[in-house]
Amino acid sequence: MKVTVSLNVNGEAWELSIEADRTLLDVLRTELMLTGTKTNCLEAECGVCTVLVDGMAVNSCTVLAVTAQGRQITTIEGLARDGELHPLQQAFIDRGAVQCGYCIPGMILSAKAFLDEHPSPTDGQIREALAGNLCRCTGYQKIVDAVQDAARVLRRERRR
Amino acid sequence: MTGAHFDYHEPTSIAEAVELAARFGDEARFLAGGTDLLIQIQRGRIAPRHVIGLHRVPGLTGVETNGRIVLGGGVTHRTIERTPAFGGALRGLVEGAEVIGGHQVRNVGTVAGNIVNASPAADLVPVLLALDADVTLAGTRGERTLSLERFLLGPGHTDRHPDELLTAVTMPGLPARSATAFLKAGRRKAMEISVACVAARLTLDAAGERCLAARIALGAVAPTTVRVHAAERALEGQPLTAEALRRAGALAAEAAQPISDVRASAGFRRHLVSVLVPRALHRCLERARGQA
Ligand SMILES: Cc1cc2nc3c(=O)[nH]c(=O)nc-3n(C[C@H](O)[C@H](O)[C@H](O)COP(=O)(O)OP(=O)(O)OC[C@H]3O[C@@H](n4cnc5c(N)ncnc54)[C@H](O)[C@@H]3O)c2cc1C
Ligand code: FES
Ligand code: FES
Repeated sequence: MKVTVSLNVNGEAWELSIEADRTLLDVLRTELMLTGTKTNCLEAECGVCTVLVDGMAVNSCTVLAVTAQGRQITTIEGLARDGELHPLQQAFIDRGAVQCGYCIPGMILSAKAFLDEHPSPTDGQIREALAGNLCRCTGYQKIVDAVQDAARVLRRERRR
Repeated sequence: MTGAHFDYHEPTSIAEAVELAARFGDEARFLAGGTDLLIQIQRGRIAPRHVIGLHRVPGLTGVETNGRIVLGGGVTHRTIERTPAFGGALRGLVEGAEVIGGHQVRNVGTVAGNIVNASPAADLVPVLLALDADVTLAGTRGERTLSLERFLLGPGHTDRHPDELLTAVTMPGLPARSATAFLKAGRRKAMEISVACVAARLTLDAAGERCLAARIALGAVAPTTVRVHAAERALEGQPLTAEALRRAGALAAEAAQPISDVRASAGFRRHLVSVLVPRALHRCLERARGQA
């Protein structure tokens, strides 16, 4: 069964005719070519497919595209502002928190949703917030450090 | 999705949702957060011909906390975690919700999904059992309300008829000097199915010594999440000494019917129950006394 779906992704409106059973992950990657959203377990376990829906982190592998209509979807491609990397992206690079990189888009989007609500987190809170994002390379400490750095930058921006 | 072919329906009222479910019967499934349903479909365990999305059905996401407590079927674990009224005597609800998956799962996973899955290891359900929850179902023949305890029949199995939508969970308000607690044991701290979990509720007398009412519910140690009435009865009317709490733990461990699987042996699960029950009761005791 084909359905017409209007999606708002990174501020851009799309109208697509797709099978109703297709996941948001599949549509982002194969219809919109937004391959920054990664694909792996397809069972909501690993978090590499994390995107923001109305600012909330969700696993796009277990969301039907048709149910994301009318909501604001943000993928890693939509995070940079005016051609400048988001403070989280910059902090991950500066801290060397990226190794193979596969988990990073999801990691950064989970961190973004978290920092939007918790501007001054503890390391423990950051670890808890990222529990649904697995990384097989870094050992997590540099990721936590990068999120703290980004939090500092974002707090400074807010005060301005 | 791999190999899945279903028609998608998007009703905009409870009546329409129920009508669609009645029309397609066993070939249809409701879709809430999808954190269980879509995975079952992906794995090929089920292959519904019709999926009925609940996202545009109004009236399923309300939370009431004045007097009785009502959770709409579509209330997410995220909402429970963030409801300020669940900070005090009802803290067990937050403790049950906040250990479910990661944020991505809690942001969309719902109360009704957790109940209708009927997983013996569901984490929120024992807390609801400890709060004497009733479930309300809307069907083509009207609405009915029954106790959650009677609704849960076996692994993956409830008393729900195919046309019935779980619209709300209702719990009586707690009397003064009451408290709840939830404890979960898993192989790691987060993103883990319970090896055993325990929900408890206590109501104390005016002196804060004797137990007026006790509820104890277990997860992952029987074919369904279960209340252990024998352990509750052993506490009611009694002074809440360390010995009484230990005894309740022993009775609960005796009543449990755990299995051995890849996560843990039956013996270890029983041991966990005997330890977690007194610990959860002790938390309730401290919390209930702390309110005074
Ligand atoms: C990675 C991961 C980790 C998890 N960890 C935990 C955990 O630690 N503890 C735990 O308890 N659970 C866990 N779960 C299971 C699941 O997320 C929860 O049970 C959740 O509450 C299911 O809700 P949902 O809205 O996503 O359900 P869905 O998948 O949408 O639906 C589940 C079932 O309920 C039915 N249904 C949904 N809403 C209604 C309704 N209103 N009326 C009638 N039927 C309805 C559906 O038809 C389906 O059969 C986990 C899942 C994943 C993927
Ligand atoms: S691919 Fe979605 S959580 Fe792993
Ligand atoms: S950097 Fe390789 S999985 Fe995280």
